Amino acid sequence: MKQLTKKWGKSLGIYLALMIIFPFVMPDEYYRSVGIIIGLQAIVAIGLCLVMGLAGQISLGQASFWGIGAYTSAVLTTKFGLTPLVGLVASAIVPAVFAFILGRAIAGLQGYYLAMATLAFGYIVQIGIQEWEPVTGGASGMISIPQVPFFGGSELSMYYLIWGIVTCVLLFSLNLMHSRIGRAFRAIHKSEVAATSMGIDVRKFKLNAFVVSGMFAGISGGLYAHYMGILDPQPFGMHESIKFLTMVVIGGMTSIWGALIGTLVIGFISEGLVMLSEVVPGLQGDVDTIVFGGILVLIVMFMPEGLVPRIRSLYEKAQAKKAAANAEQRVERKAAI
Amino acid sequence: MTTLLTVQDLSRDFGGVRAVNHVDFEVKQGEILALIGPNGAGKSTVLNMVSGVIPPSEGEIRFANQLMTRVPGYEYAKLGITRTFQNLQTFDDMTVLENVMVGMHTKTHSSLFSCGMSLTTARREERTMQERAHTWLEKVGLSSLASSHAGSLPYGKLRLMEIARAMVAEPKLLLLDEPAAGLNHTETAEMSRMFQEIRENGTAILLVEHDMDMIMTIADRIVVLDQGSKIAEGTPREIQENPCVIAAYLGTEEQVESRG
Ligand SMILES: Nc1ncnc2c1ncn2[C@@H]1O[C@H](COP(=O)(O)OP(=O)(O)O)[C@@H](O)[C@H]1O
Ligand SMILES: [Mg+2]
Repeated sequence: MKQLTKKWGKSLGIYLALMIIFPFVMPDEYYRSVGIIIGLQAIVAIGLCLVMGLAGQISLGQASFWGIGAYTSAVLTTKFGLTPLVGLVASAIVPAVFAFILGRAIAGLQGYYLAMATLAFGYIVQIGIQEWEPVTGGASGMISIPQVPFFGGSELSMYYLIWGIVTCVLLFSLNLMHSRIGRAFRAIHKSEVAATSMGIDVRKFKLNAFVVSGMFAGISGGLYAHYMGILDPQPFGMHESIKFLTMVVIGGMTSIWGALIGTLVIGFISEGLVMLSEVVPGLQGDVDTIVFGGILVLIVMFMPEGLVPRIRSLYEKAQAKKAAANAEQRVERKAAI
Repeated sequence: MTTLLTVQDLSRDFGGVRAVNHVDFEVKQGEILALIGPNGAGKSTVLNMVSGVIPPSEGEIRFANQLMTRVPGYEYAKLGITRTFQNLQTFDDMTVLENVMVGMHTKTHSSLFSCGMSLTTARREERTMQERAHTWLEKVGLSSLASSHAGSLPYGKLRLMEIARAMVAEPKLLLLDEPAAGLNHTETAEMSRMFQEIRENGTAILLVEHDMDMIMTIADRIVVLDQGSKIAEGTPREIQENPCVIAAYLGTEEQVESRG
């Protein structure tokens, strides 16, 4: 931990402070629940960032791992009477197994083919949930999923539970990124030939990234099911997958912090659209899909590296300029003496 | 001296075009073997096969008495073969230090879990990696650039970084594809000294290079390729005097006459 605070001291401090005070700045129950959903999405986005930004693969089916996680815990707790804690463990493992099988099946696919394969997987999962009625409740869904017993289960305690887990996922991913494993991921992204010649088993590492991202999405899904108390297949389709993708791309694929920031940006825009739709009657329905699609296109065109890397490079440039100016001043002062 | 690498009857076709044609040679333990020839002779293709990047169409590669044909590419580094690339393959978004640390992948073992949890073992390994990477950055003269992003470095420095990245894996055989390209006279001489030092420490080198000064000073033996086939093999002196070689290759390069 000591090392952590040294490495990411400033960002981590700001993040923790904002995260902790948010429920008191916005003491409204509604905003707490928005905060909880954003936290759940951030867990998925961070996992997706490991796959896309680090290992350089695209996934258009991330919402399906989220859904598998949600339904796993929901079914185990409501139909089999297991406690939510056991359900949550299963909701981490089952999607990871699915990710492993899918990852094995699509190993070697790249670019469009990989996008298509993950997209197809997403559809299959959503349809599977809809059709497997005796277990999942089909299109009408499931009700009375038990809450996670965490300090009485109020909005506030759930907020801290979820964001506590976001923080763990964030730290895990940051650690990973700055380790031999994360460097292997990043190496693969840049040059598979060079990575291989350095002894990195490209297929195995891509698969590992995929499995970890499936696991993160599953944990988030399980928490989502217990938080909501009800489930239906609707949120686990392509619409949501595209949303996760947009979060990662906006923030900057190569940055774990970027995934978090991207989730926040998308969260703000969603809330803005909800508010706007109350005033402008035409803005109902799937307007957000159009907006997110538009944002995705604009980002890819004008800022392909994403927000966080862009801001970081601007900051570094400013620092360099300042240093240069300082050096000049010193020289001038010397000359004056 | 025992034989480290044996290349036998090696051929490679690219869609009907034969890039390498029945080539044989050996690299002995602790020697520098230079592979020379005009552009397009098939030198890089030979290196790609010896490093497991592409499979041969025909022939055998044996390394330390092991047949390498069936060995997957990512096993080569662990077995003791690492390389640099003619068209640089650097990880531009990483720092120079991180680039070199990737080279230590096979020397380290922390799992995904222990890295993510930043367990003591992973942190200890990370420190060891940093120290070793620094040692090699010092040897190639890049310590002052350790924390710069690789993408911001000029070509010549990146070549040195690739050498450090290949050497931290402590290979038995180092493959170099035109390491002196784009370097000036002094830099090339410095690099020659470094290669001799690497050989002294027990690593054999298979060197593809156009700079004849470098080849003639440091190579123990030379293999000459022309249009995919081996046309000569011998000591630098023998090669310089070989009429075949002069006709096919050296004769076309006046720099050799003036320097050699
Ligand atoms: N991947 C490839 N696909 C098709 N042809 C190739 C490929 N790599 C090399 N070649 C061809 O093989 C021949 C030898 O190339 P190369 O080994 O790069 O030569 P050298 O390194 O000696 O300059 C050339 O004619 C080149 O065009
Ligand atoms: Mg070449």
